[in-house]
Amino acid sequence: MIGEAEGLALAGAPVTAPQTGRRVATRRRTNMTVFLVLPALVFLGCFLVAPYVDMLVMSFRNPSTTAVYAPGFTLANYRKALTDPFYLEVLARTLAFGAITTVVCATIAYPVAYHLARTRSRFKGLLYAGVLSPLLVGVVIRCYGWIILLANNGLINNAVKTLGWLPHGLPLMYNPFGVGVGLVHVFLPFMILPILSAIQSIDPALEEAAQSLGASRLRTMFRIVIPLSLPGIQAGAILVFVLSISAYVIPILLGALKVKIMPTLVIQLLIDAFLWPFGAALAFILAASGGLIVYLFILATGRLMRGLG
Amino acid sequence: MTTVTISGLTKRFGTATAVDDLSIEIGEGELVSLLGPSGCGKTTTLRSIAGFVEPDAGQILFDGTDITSLAPERRNIGMVFQNYALFPHMTVRENLRFGLEMRRVRRQEMADRIGAVLDIVQLAGLEDRYPRELSGGQQQRVALARGLVIEPAVLLLDEPLANLDAKLREEMRFFIRSLQKRVGITTVYVTHDQAEAMVISDRIVVMFDGRIRQIGDATEIYAHPVSREVADFIGLSNFIDGRVTAQTDAGRYLVETPVGEVRCRSALALGVGDPASVMVRPESIRLSRKRSGEPDANSISGRVRDRFYLGNIAGYRITCADGSLLQVQEEPWHAGAIGDPVWCVFSSDLAWIIRR
Repeated sequence: MIGEAEGLALAGAPVTAPQTGRRVATRRRTNMTVFLVLPALVFLGCFLVAPYVDMLVMSFRNPSTTAVYAPGFTLANYRKALTDPFYLEVLARTLAFGAITTVVCATIAYPVAYHLARTRSRFKGLLYAGVLSPLLVGVVIRCYGWIILLANNGLINNAVKTLGWLPHGLPLMYNPFGVGVGLVHVFLPFMILPILSAIQSIDPALEEAAQSLGASRLRTMFRIVIPLSLPGIQAGAILVFVLSISAYVIPILLGALKVKIMPTLVIQLLIDAFLWPFGAALAFILAASGGLIVYLFILATGRLMRGLG
Repeated sequence: MTTVTISGLTKRFGTATAVDDLSIEIGEGELVSLLGPSGCGKTTTLRSIAGFVEPDAGQILFDGTDITSLAPERRNIGMVFQNYALFPHMTVRENLRFGLEMRRVRRQEMADRIGAVLDIVQLAGLEDRYPRELSGGQQQRVALARGLVIEPAVLLLDEPLANLDAKLREEMRFFIRSLQKRVGITTVYVTHDQAEAMVISDRIVVMFDGRIRQIGDATEIYAHPVSREVADFIGLSNFIDGRVTAQTDAGRYLVETPVGEVRCRSALALGVGDPASVMVRPESIRLSRKRSGEPDANSISGRVRDRFYLGNIAGYRITCADGSLLQVQEEPWHAGAIGDPVWCVFSSDLAWIIRR
């Protein structure tokens, strides 16, 4: 659409312009660019927008035992989801999981990103590979790796038991801790990379200037580097939060169904209980509340970043 | 008011020696420039004083107190960076307040000091602007103000004018010079621009390859350079190689050269037969139709090879009898068209022997 608008503006201009031929060529090129985004638009329309619309409609339908949904429309699905304390608790837990994963990721990611951004080491490339490593292995395989480590008879517990430190071992899996470890591990790169690029764009002379004015390394960090890298923190936080609240495979494998969160619950409702309309409603409530939190987060961090221009 | 003493400062980066056994004493309220080509170690020296570079050897003292191993934030320095390094997320006022907050200055005093320093750098009224909303020259003055408002022991300036356009750069030279005199703060100024160093400094330290080659005021460095390197770096020069044939007076020698005998001065103790290189600045030479009659003047004959017009002056290149070239700066078209025979006349006071 934008391309078309530009094309029209240019089409009006060349009447008195000396290089009319060139202008026309430009206009034609501008119009052509619309076709370049067409495949992407078609793809998104077929595989994102259409299913979403379908689900949205489905969430207002009556359940059926013989079909995906029965005829007629209802608000009952949303009423149930928003009044039943069980579902509200699951929603709150899901969002809390997302928030905690985001905070833990940011805390771990920041020092790593700072080091990577400022290091002049020969092994910089290797460090990059290390940061990306969680993404290089498929999610299922990675989870089985964690199971080997964290299970009740896994490496850590066996070691702890044989050494006689804790005869009953530690509950490391099938609980929020195990799920949290899995989530933080996978999503760490999504936090590190935006922060890294934000820090790289900060002139190191600013840190020296702060020090020359009497600020310690720590104060320089909190007054100069972190405020200036807020755009990176913001981007990373949004990515990690959104990915965490919608994660399915990790909570299933590391939490079994003992950690009740929205994505696993929705799948249960769809597949096991065959309550497609209700599942769809829950999915939309999760998406909407996640979106609302992201929106409020952008507002809040936007105020902090006002000076960054 | 603080004195800065640097003794035996040495810094190596890998196998390259950036600063090699550098020693200098900087007096109270003095402005000393470190002048040299890029890579000569001037910035490393400044950064050592600031504490951003840890020297491999040597000491740095402020008022006799060794601060070599002190962290930068404890040295009480004001530093102005080449790209200003203003905090982009802070307004002018917040930039200036930063250093005062670190020193836990009381609120009222902060406001007073910020107001006073903004008056000095002529930026009053721009307190609430962000750096990106200021012109290059204004940013430069904010950087100066930020370094000054903390009332540091020493002010360090790292090529502070390099990013300004030519005209503003010349104005700012005088501005910084008069500001520094008014505040009376001991200042170290790094630059690769010889004119800037000459305008601004009490003393100039000329550096090459990590070593000090000469220390002196602008006149000494320009008129009496110690080496060909220094002479070449500070302006244009002619060098006429020869041998000493006689000492005519204290510090005055006669040098036999391929273009004739030259009377000149020197600070060196030279004997008859010693090799000598005579330096004559192009603007010291007058072009004349006849040999000079004065006993103290030198005259070298030649022909105008080419000439070019620079407005206030004209440049000539004169081919001498032995084929060597002399560069001359004269009033435009004062003498000689191309091919004309001329005499290059210069006083023995302006012919300076440097070691060959």
